[in-house]
Amino acid sequence: MCGINGIFAYNPPANPPDEAELLRTRDAMAARGPDGAGAWWSGDGRCAFGHRRLAIIDTSPAGAQPMTSFDGSLTVTFNGEIYNYPELRRTLEAEGVRFRSNSDTEVLLHLYRRDGADMVRRLRGMFALAIWDEARGGVMLARDPYGIKPLYIADDGWTLRFASQVKAILAGGAVSFDPEPAGIVGFHLLGSVPEPFTLYRAIRSLPAGHAQWVDAAGAREPRRFASIAAALAEATKVVVPPEEIRARVRASVGASVRAHLLADVEVGVFLSAGIDSGALLGLACGAGQPRRAITLAFDEFRDSPADEAPLAAEIAQRYGAGHIVRGVGKAEFERDLPAITAAMDQPSIDGVNTWFVAKAAREAGLKVALSGLGGDELLAGYPSFRDVPRWRRRFGPLAAVPGAGALARRVLRAAAPRLARDNPKALGMLEHSGSWGGAYLLRRGLFLPHELYGFLDPDLVRDGLARLDPARRFRDSLTPDPGSDVGRVTALESAFYLRNQLLRDADWAGMAHGLEIRVPLVDFTLLTELAPILPRFGGGAGKAALAAAPSPALPDPVAERAKTGFEVPVRQWMHATAETGTARGRGAGARSWAHWVFGRTAMLGKAA
Amino acid sequence: MSRRFRVLALVTDAFGAPGGIAQYNRDLLTTLAEEAGFEIVILARRGSAGETTPARGITQLRPRPGRIGYIAAALRAAATRRFDLVFCGHLYAAPLARAAARLRGSRLLVQLHGIDAWTAPRRQARKAFERADLVLSVSRFTRAAALGWSRLEPHRIAVIPNTVRDVFVPGDRRSSRLALGLDDRRVLLSVGRLDSREAYKGQDRIIDVLPGLIAGGRRVAYVVAGEGDDRIRLESLARERGVGDAVHFLGEIEEAGLPPLYRAADLFVMPSTGEGFGIVFLEAMASGTPALGLAAGGAPDAMADGALGTLVQAERLGPAIAAILDGAETDPAALSGAVAERFGRAAFRRAVGRLADRLAETS
Repeated sequence: MCGINGIFAYNPPANPPDEAELLRTRDAMAARGPDGAGAWWSGDGRCAFGHRRLAIIDTSPAGAQPMTSFDGSLTVTFNGEIYNYPELRRTLEAEGVRFRSNSDTEVLLHLYRRDGADMVRRLRGMFALAIWDEARGGVMLARDPYGIKPLYIADDGWTLRFASQVKAILAGGAVSFDPEPAGIVGFHLLGSVPEPFTLYRAIRSLPAGHAQWVDAAGAREPRRFASIAAALAEATKVVVPPEEIRARVRASVGASVRAHLLADVEVGVFLSAGIDSGALLGLACGAGQPRRAITLAFDEFRDSPADEAPLAAEIAQRYGAGHIVRGVGKAEFERDLPAITAAMDQPSIDGVNTWFVAKAAREAGLKVALSGLGGDELLAGYPSFRDVPRWRRRFGPLAAVPGAGALARRVLRAAAPRLARDNPKALGMLEHSGSWGGAYLLRRGLFLPHELYGFLDPDLVRDGLARLDPARRFRDSLTPDPGSDVGRVTALESAFYLRNQLLRDADWAGMAHGLEIRVPLVDFTLLTELAPILPRFGGGAGKAALAAAPSPALPDPVAERAKTGFEVPVRQWMHATAETGTARGRGAGARSWAHWVFGRTAMLGKAA
Repeated sequence: MSRRFRVLALVTDAFGAPGGIAQYNRDLLTTLAEEAGFEIVILARRGSAGETTPARGITQLRPRPGRIGYIAAALRAAATRRFDLVFCGHLYAAPLARAAARLRGSRLLVQLHGIDAWTAPRRQARKAFERADLVLSVSRFTRAAALGWSRLEPHRIAVIPNTVRDVFVPGDRRSSRLALGLDDRRVLLSVGRLDSREAYKGQDRIIDVLPGLIAGGRRVAYVVAGEGDDRIRLESLARERGVGDAVHFLGEIEEAGLPPLYRAADLFVMPSTGEGFGIVFLEAMASGTPALGLAAGGAPDAMADGALGTLVQAERLGPAIAAILDGAETDPAALSGAVAERFGRAAFRRAVGRLADRLAETS
């Protein structure tokens, strides 16, 4: 998994990279890569890469990074896993390429030599990478289609710096802490900082599914090489008979799980009592080797229906997996809280669960674990798949009347102040439900735009909203049109909640424990295969198909169980930590936590 | 590509006009024509090409001092021929340049200089600016400021620094000093307009620290080159501080007089907070004289973050000057060479050549 960073003094007047800065940034990511560290300089001394290693595939020194090609013309620093590297390697070897290691990293070098920037289209997996191309005197940066692995960039016009974490770039000491209004507003709207923004003006994320070239003439426009909306739009032409849906889910998810088991170390599974993780465990165990599963149990829930441990144990038993149940209590939560906020790269209203399950996995000696994350986005598991299209239909026509929404909000607030206070989102119903993005914001949003003026500087809110331009960003994620209601919500959930919150949380929370979290249900190949049948996943059909995918199928209580998730007690602790004790309306807990987390993670305006 | 790349340059001034911006426009456009073979049509408000000969491939149209006449001429030029690119020499002209670019589907390039781009322009100019295909900035500071007030994405602003002309080279220091009538005192020099509206140049900061330098046993003179309405205030400030004899106001210096003046100084110092780039720092260092400035605005670019010149915080100005005066002598040839390597004509030509290649890339 690892952490990567680099400094490229691409503009000739710039000073060459400072070694101390390179190592400060690299070693700020020590937790991401406890197994080794490397640094590399280009021949002309203008470009330097750093790498912290968590050894998973070819754990020998031959897999160390940054890795330079035999002839010295290409160097890569890479964070992630390429699950189809054995096939890629076979193809390349058949074409006469000779390999020196067994690592997936080396494949990247040979593939780049053969295909140039197009190589990223052939990779199945999660990745953030930088490749130095000596002949062209520049660097290619790239990030996987879903944005599973992070890549942040600070370009000042002379020098480009990049790293796996925002905080690591700041730790280098050469980049300004000036606040980015769009990032601050975005966090309060959505509960996570929406890419490409960060909380800092000088630092941006390379967007998911994009590659960017940088040389002495500057950083070029990032080019999109994979788009979720486009994958869904293209699939609308393909017709799949209804009776094949389950078979296709079984085959494609099974193939993704097998691909994600590729490792030279043990791969465990995060297990709740839900369908996604249970199906993954079933399919993983069906693939051969015995597996170990990790389940969190909360003291508060012992012997209550909310306790997931008994049902998880049943699943584990059904598939012959070893089962580790890790208890977590409020005291441990409070003890870990400082470490959690320290590890949190950018503020997030979630991620605490992942912290504890990753901690438990690491205690069990695991370096890699599968997570069922992404199942709700892919298989229409969220309430948003029902609500967003419905709201859009019900209120959309009214919302199209200019000014109607804002007027309704004012009238409601004047006529029913109590209702307005307890249901702040109801006020935005008319204003935002006119578009898919607006309806999504209503469903997922933490605060609505008009509420931000209540606690943030009004100029910052105005500036931030203009820079963020949420409506345009929602539209972008739906272009080209995915062609179905399920497809549209999948595209929105994948581009916002999944990308900016769930995946980012999995990254920092896993990495803080030196654990690689793999997500077989967040896989572009899988998405492409399921895209033609995805419109039919609504109403629980998608999840039912997944529950039936392993052999034997999941126990009935799991398939029928309403989604509770093991998040509930953690939410309660989080909110209790942040609450001030005053009476608040619904959803106030998450909002207080947002303020609390923001106050502890943002380092705005500090001098560089 | 068989056809030559055509550029319509909408600028305030280029050939036949004084000033740093005109100089930069000449440098950039000439190099684009010479290095990349671009065909360039210049429309300026002032100056005509008669006095200085533009390079082959450059045509400068009749100047249009009036606003309406300039707009009409710009749109007419853009409508009659198809240009690949409209070059906009100043932020305030971005709306016109954008309109001209849209007429026949040309791309738009906007050049940013200094302080004028540090705060948000009027809405119309900002909107037009945000539609630019590419923006050039002379410094990192100006680039960061523009990224702050605009929604432009970072990859759309590239930095091409100012360049220093070949006349600024080390030379006979002794004769330079004799010609200026300087005795064996250590000489601090500033070059810049004494404009009360541009009081940010910071000559007053140096006058403030002079008594301390002299009290430390140093024989110091401060030579102030440049003219302007702030001179009276600075002169009285010098008397007030009791250093009237140590401060010499030279008034406006002709171009030809600058290289010997730079050579004559022991230290070029300009504690300015408002330099878009600070070309005078480059001129001084290229002439072999060490330079000192504040870590503010574009000055860190000219000083290469301290690798060429010294950057300090305002409150450390006195001790920093003392340290340089008391320290080891600078090797003028080495300093000049280091400046030329980063900011010389050859470096500038290469940068513009890369810009031309980037413009010719398909997207």
